[in-house]
Amino acid sequence: MAQRTVVVASGVGLHARPAKLFTQAAAGTGLGVTIAKGDGPAVDATSILRVMALGVKHGEEVTISAEGDGADEALDGLVELLATDLDAVKPA
Amino acid sequence: MSDVDPAALLAPDAIRLAEQAADKTQAIRICGQALVDCGAVEAAYVPAMLEREESVSTYIGEGVAIPHATLAGKEAVLRDALCFVRFPAGVDWDGAQVTVCIGIAAQGDGHVEILAELAQILLDPERAEALRAAESAETVLAMLTPAPEDTPEPTREGER
Repeated sequence: MAQRTVVVASGVGLHARPAKLFTQAAAGTGLGVTIAKGDGPAVDATSILRVMALGVKHGEEVTISAEGDGADEALDGLVELLATDLDAVKPA
Repeated sequence: MSDVDPAALLAPDAIRLAEQAADKTQAIRICGQALVDCGAVEAAYVPAMLEREESVSTYIGEGVAIPHATLAGKEAVLRDALCFVRFPAGVDWDGAQVTVCIGIAAQGDGHVEILAELAQILLDPERAEALRAAESAETVLAMLTPAPEDTPEPTREGER
């Protein structure tokens, strides 16, 4: 299982729009991706409600994990997303 | 988790339980007006909420949307606040049926906990139904107030 730990850069934390963009990207990988805050339990990274329920704030650390072919590349993309202030960028 | 007081974020007069909207644009305007009326934002915040909705839908599931503004709207925020607006007849939200809108006005991240609590409620079908059916501002506020000693597990599938 591939795993990465990253500090959430979005000024408003990982909820609302940043959570939506992140969960969409996680779903787009087609892999089983999970996300955990700190030492907390891992949750389905494609569920906006589960991600919002984590209550991740700006500057907090999350760990994302994925399994399957291309998991490393997929996580690299998601890490980049989390390390960006998603509240500031324009949608693609 | 923190010292944020949900009652300070969600004023009783920002809880509206019986609104009607023909479409989501009108629903967002009503939410925006609720935030204006409780002194949380200037009128300029409302168009920024509509602009945000254009770029990314704020529908989060379980009949709930969380309209809020783009970064451009932040300057119109006077204080961090939420509003809770219920549309008993429902509003079409890009094909989804929305019954509850929780409008957000925020400069900081003090509202993240209350939104996390909201998500916890919506993950539980019974509590989600209870929130959609809430008949009083007190019930809404009590449901959204995070219980400090009772942090629910976000999921049961965490261990592998």
